[in-house]
Amino acid sequence: MADFQEQQTPQAGFFQRVSELIPFDWELIRHASAEPVPYHIKKWWFCLGGTVLYLFVIQVATGIALTFYYVPSPDQAYESVAQITQDVRFGWYIRSLHKWAANCMIVAMFLHMLRVYFTGAYRHPRQLNWCIGFLLLGITLTFGFTGYSLVYEQLSFWGATVGANLAEAVPLIGPTIAYFLRGGPEVGENTLTRFYVLHIGLLPTLAFGLVFLHILLIRLHGVTELEFEGKEVPEKERHFRFWPDHATTELLIGVLLMYLLTIMALVFPAGLGEPANPTQTPEHIKPEWYFYFNFRLLKLTSLRVSVVFTMALGGICFLWPFIEQWLSRKFKVPDRVWVMLGVLAFLGFLVLTVWESFVQ
Amino acid sequence: MDLTVKRYIVAALSFLFLVSLLLVAYQESRRLRVERKLEPVVTALNKGCVDCHRTDSPALVMEWEHSQHAAYGVGCVDCHSANQGEVDAWLHEGEYVSALVTPLDCANCHEKEYREFSQSHHAKAGEILASLDNVLAEKAAGMPGNNADSVNGCWQCHGSIIRFERDEDGKTITSGKENRPVIDSDTWPNSGIGRLNPDGSKGSCHACHSRHAFEAKLSRSPENCGKCHMGPDHPQIEIYNESKHGIAFYANRDRMALDTQGDWVLGRDYSAAPTCATCHISSYMTPNGQYTANSHDVGERISWTLRPVISTLLNSVIYQDGFKEDYPHTRELPEIGDTIETIEKVVENEELVSRTVPRQVARIVTWEERRQVMKGACLNCHSDTYVDNFYQQFDDLVILYNEKFARPAKAIMDDLLADGVLNPNAPFEHHVQWVYFELWHHEGRRARHGASMMGPDYTHWHGMYEVSKHFYQEFLPAVVEVARTKGAAMGRKYEQRVEELLAQEEHQWVKGLSDQEAEELRQMYQQRYNE
Repeated sequence: MADFQEQQTPQAGFFQRVSELIPFDWELIRHASAEPVPYHIKKWWFCLGGTVLYLFVIQVATGIALTFYYVPSPDQAYESVAQITQDVRFGWYIRSLHKWAANCMIVAMFLHMLRVYFTGAYRHPRQLNWCIGFLLLGITLTFGFTGYSLVYEQLSFWGATVGANLAEAVPLIGPTIAYFLRGGPEVGENTLTRFYVLHIGLLPTLAFGLVFLHILLIRLHGVTELEFEGKEVPEKERHFRFWPDHATTELLIGVLLMYLLTIMALVFPAGLGEPANPTQTPEHIKPEWYFYFNFRLLKLTSLRVSVVFTMALGGICFLWPFIEQWLSRKFKVPDRVWVMLGVLAFLGFLVLTVWESFVQ
Repeated sequence: MDLTVKRYIVAALSFLFLVSLLLVAYQESRRLRVERKLEPVVTALNKGCVDCHRTDSPALVMEWEHSQHAAYGVGCVDCHSANQGEVDAWLHEGEYVSALVTPLDCANCHEKEYREFSQSHHAKAGEILASLDNVLAEKAAGMPGNNADSVNGCWQCHGSIIRFERDEDGKTITSGKENRPVIDSDTWPNSGIGRLNPDGSKGSCHACHSRHAFEAKLSRSPENCGKCHMGPDHPQIEIYNESKHGIAFYANRDRMALDTQGDWVLGRDYSAAPTCATCHISSYMTPNGQYTANSHDVGERISWTLRPVISTLLNSVIYQDGFKEDYPHTRELPEIGDTIETIEKVVENEELVSRTVPRQVARIVTWEERRQVMKGACLNCHSDTYVDNFYQQFDDLVILYNEKFARPAKAIMDDLLADGVLNPNAPFEHHVQWVYFELWHHEGRRARHGASMMGPDYTHWHGMYEVSKHFYQEFLPAVVEVARTKGAAMGRKYEQRVEELLAQEEHQWVKGLSDQEAEELRQMYQQRYNE
């Protein structure tokens, strides 16, 4: 009789057999997914980290699709992008999604960092996760830079040239980095291949590793518990389950993002400028918008000063949780000073960005 | 600081971030519009034309595809459409069209430019029938039944009166199965800037904005103006090429941003050199921001007229309906609000006629104000002292020409007419009349234009040198010669007149330099050339 019942419910038997094939502690997964999530995470602006992750997944999926058609060779790259845009079925949509998801990812990342900074979520014991997050920002910007160059249109080609020149101005190791990026003393045939390998090989590997570490640390530390004054929350409502409650929220945000990206792709499809011409410098060279602040600094100072300044700024941001901790202990700096500093720093970034956009 | 405040800070910064991104996107899209060539848009209305003409006249279609018009979907029918019954219209593949595109057609979209152009000297360039130039082309160089010199020469710059072939009853003759009206071949093709069109409009936008690409860089380039503003009587392009401005332009053409869409602003879009368009009609930066120019009224900033026998400063009288007249400074200015009987030239029955129109004065712009607008462009590169001193040098040259040569020569010519030596109906009967004409119309203009645009060689060797040489060696002897044709007494009268003139201080040098001056001259040649 028992045998008969088992035959009547083949599914149970199927999962049983699969779990026997993979001798994993499935209870651990159940435990991990049942992590209690603080109530404030129900507010969408605390989900920006998840938004970045969702956009990253879109980038991986659309990126792989584009790789089937893209040819990383100077004499065919532009043509292959044109083919993707004009001939390949849904090619324009995939390319537009890739472009807009990249931009949205950087925007979401900045917003995520703003939230983390102003809520002090990077403080002890979560300093390391801020550092990892900052490395992920650097990797994402490098993704943007290398990806833009792969289009091999006139502006992106010359953007890559300027980028390599910027790298060259890094003290001590600059010339070596620039030589490595260009694949020679000048931007040439090897440059595109190197950018391609970085874009689809090295950077994704690093990104996967760091994202894994980032999430692992969140899980190990748990999400920062935040108290909103004047809002007493009963004990039983202070947490909710990751699965399925929070996962459903993230899924909903994912669907909304797909709507947004599809509308962007429809209304502003990724275009294509003039093909790259290494012999003719365009009248105006501009990088992508997220490098405008740096480009403005460069014009206001000099190549070397702007690069050193940006590196110093990047170093300070990277180590900020430790620097802030040290300064707070030594000088008894009140919290509002760090808030004001954050506001000023971000406003400075915005001013330089908008300023550069208004300069021809 | 509690979390709620921080939440507001994050929200405010996020909002500012969004605003910044939108500003960047707006600027980016503007920039990309300029840098990226837009694809031609063939609307359903124009598809038929493009499909056929791509085979019939492929280069024409390619040029149109290259234009901004094409990028915005403005095509063949939008400019060439006509109404049934118009003299130049015929039914072509289901649409009434005309080969003639007049400023009124362009005004459908470019109304401001049309209005500014219609007030300008350029629009009146076709009103040259009552001029000595026209007499020379039609009479001296032409013959009855063959006006080819005017047709191929004068009219190609000044513009023709567009006429149609007509039968004995005055009806237009048509040709082909579509009954296309036949335009008098003497009057079209013609892209003269003052062309007199059948719809009453004056001008041809094509004169500066060559079809069918209509590139801004073309109309901003000095060569474009040089098609007409050149030669012995007004060599502006040669003078420009000789000037520091011209040299800077040709060396730095790649930095002139000639392709800039919309306003092309000196001090914002480019700085390397001024072109004709820069000084006469373009926008420029000032310490108070951008001065946006009246971009199609070319004479607006001109303070001297350098064309007549004797130059005068020019005030402008602008009437309520926008009609504009230059008033030489020697002519009394009306008051604002006065009604003046103005003379306007219009085409009636394919002939140019004058008509008197009472108009009320709305505004007066003095020559000083006109000059001030021109100086604004100069001040982008030069100091005010530099610019003021340049104008002083220029003014002095014009006054020198006026007082030493033009005024005495004109007085003599007027007297020859009054004494009956010259026939007022025969402007080119005698040698003296030809010499006098070239003295002011060719050499005198070259000198004045040379000084106005900083062309030293044109000011002196092609200008004042020729004026003085011909004044002394050709004009004055020719005056006596023509006077003698009316008898010995008349001859003696003008001999004496010439003697009196040469006795004036500025002409005494002809009889000899001072001993010191002559010695210095000899020594210089001795030292320098061992002569």
